[in-house]
Amino acid sequence: MSLKILAIDDSRTIREMLRMCLARAGFDVHTAEDGVAGLDCLDAVDPDVVITDINMPRLDGFGVITAIRENAERTALPILVLTTESAQDLKQRARESGVTGWVVKPFDDVKLIAAIRRIAST
Amino acid sequence: MSDHSFNSSAAPVRSRLVVQGEFEVSNDPGIVLTTLLGSCVATCLCDPAAGVGGMNHFLLASHDGGAGANERYGSYAMEVLINGLLKLGARKSRLEAKIFGGATMAGRMGRIGEANCAFARDYLDTEKIPLVSSSLGGDRARRLRYVPVTGQAQMLFVAEAVPAARAAAAPVGDVDLF
Repeated sequence: MSLKILAIDDSRTIREMLRMCLARAGFDVHTAEDGVAGLDCLDAVDPDVVITDINMPRLDGFGVITAIRENAERTALPILVLTTESAQDLKQRARESGVTGWVVKPFDDVKLIAAIRRIAST
Repeated sequence: MSDHSFNSSAAPVRSRLVVQGEFEVSNDPGIVLTTLLGSCVATCLCDPAAGVGGMNHFLLASHDGGAGANERYGSYAMEVLINGLLKLGARKSRLEAKIFGGATMAGRMGRIGEANCAFARDYLDTEKIPLVSSSLGGDRARRLRYVPVTGQAQMLFVAEAVPAARAAAAPVGDVDLF
């Protein structure tokens, strides 16, 4: 079974880049265009790993993280933040919210895939 | 293009230079953003309703889009600009774009300017950000002034020397697992 990835990003360019890069690595990739759409399809997709942007309309990445962690069945679901932001205070806030990792754009395919495999196996 | 001119009665007073690899955003009516472009492309985005705008200035690493590196770096250059605008109250759905530059400069870096123009156009098209004005390509440098709060642009072709662009310096972000 391939790992199921839900990638949430308001940039269509980034969604398509992730879809191509992660599908080539053998992952089953699903995408959503903002935090609300991401949470809406969470049950249907039932992902092994969530990748989320931070700055998004309607519901941002912190909202996504909080909503996922509030669900008792998803307290251990690996969540990677993928963002242009690198400020330590944001990273710390995400860490305290229960995020598994933080990846700064522009991302390196090999490093991102390695990070996904690592967090999905722990 | 017909709208690359200022209303002189509302001329802003302070200028900020946007150099290659950088971006600036502002909601200050007293600011004008300036840059000098050869092969590089500057994307100017404005949300006129919010009175917020900004400019980036980028050069992609290679002319053949090598292994997605161009797209990754170019989309990064666009996204940091857009995120900066959103933080000042802009809405992505209201953004209007003007793009400039991408010249083929004599003796320098082949046709990389064309690749930069193509990337910028494709990105805006994909993200559904309307391109309201552009001046791209050719073989001359451009001097650009942009009023971020209104989206007004003024562009002049210039004969002056453009600092040599630095290509292939696309950054790669860190990965931190907690």
